[in-house]
Amino acid sequence: MNCSSIDLKAYFLGELDRGAKSACADHITRCDDCHEELERLRLTQTALMTLPDEEIPQRIAFVSDRVFEPRWWQAIWRSGPAMGFASAALLSCAILVHGFTRPAPVVVASAPLTQAIQVDQARIERKIEEQVNLRMAELGNRQAAESAKLVAAVEKKFQFRQRADLVSAQETIRMYQQQMGRLMVAYNPSSNLSNQEGAR
Amino acid sequence: MIFREVEDRDLIAKARRGNVDAHNVLVSRWEKRVYNYLLRLVRNREDALDLAQDVFLKAFQNLKKLDDPDRFPAWLYRIAHNEAYSLLRRRKPETDLEGVEPRVGGSASRMFPAELTLAVDTALGRLSPDQREAVVLKIYEGFKFDEMAEVLGCPVSTVKSRLYTALDLLKETLAPIRIRGAE
Repeated sequence: MNCSSIDLKAYFLGELDRGAKSACADHITRCDDCHEELERLRLTQTALMTLPDEEIPQRIAFVSDRVFEPRWWQAIWRSGPAMGFASAALLSCAILVHGFTRPAPVVVASAPLTQAIQVDQARIERKIEEQVNLRMAELGNRQAAESAKLVAAVEKKFQFRQRADLVSAQETIRMYQQQMGRLMVAYNPSSNLSNQEGAR
Repeated sequence: MIFREVEDRDLIAKARRGNVDAHNVLVSRWEKRVYNYLLRLVRNREDALDLAQDVFLKAFQNLKKLDDPDRFPAWLYRIAHNEAYSLLRRRKPETDLEGVEPRVGGSASRMFPAELTLAVDTALGRLSPDQREAVVLKIYEGFKFDEMAEVLGCPVSTVKSRLYTALDLLKETLAPIRIRGAE
């Protein structure tokens, strides 16, 4: 093994595996140049280690320190339920605002449809009215016909009773006249004779 | 170390379920290492502290995306790496980061008063950010090559190339200093 085949700095830095480290160590014991080079590296490292670590002038702030406590809006922003409530409130406000400030073109755009609906409603109302009038007229005619029938029946019945009464009255009058004639004959026979003679 | 890893895994599992206390313990355990890693990259205390704060906040927010708790260190340093390079790009938007000459002297001189420490800091400052980060991850943080590749988002071969070049540059500067100092 020669000087160019070994990684002296890797050996010095402790980066070689066991086999390479052993081979490098053997070479260094036999090579003055590599031995001197290794000594210079060690001196360099010793010099470097004289540079001490400094104490930190101020401890690093913990995330739990007050300086990292979130402000009120940050706390709200990071809170899931609060953000959900805020979102719902914002959505409600947006709906309200939209309701109060609905743009005119939306109404214009829906005018033909509204007119069509109104036309249909008028046509339906007119048909309903026609049907109602027709039915009412039929009903009126039917009632008038039935009333006329009733009146005719009542008049017929009245006339029948009137005729019956008249016949009955005539019969009664005729009976009274017969009775009156018999009575007059019974109380005045001369008159009867005179009457009979006169009749003769 | 084994017990520490087991405890970290438990803490990560709890933190993934939203346990803030577990996350706080994790922060306490890792804040110093992450801060020093960032300090060696950006070379400014205030920036490093701000970045470390951002790193742990992002880690808390994204911990559920971490599939394997055993990869937590590399994952955390990956966040730190991204934060640091985001800052460096903002600072030098018109300059290629590979060619950035790190800031030395000034506040860095006041950071480390000892002569050797100053020399080390200066030598590290002369490295490119990529090279310096490779050294920091390997020498100071003790990551393996594959973990470094995960943190840096590049192949292991690239990691080794950056690290070996950086070690050569540092060796030229620091080893002679030590030798002269020893004499």
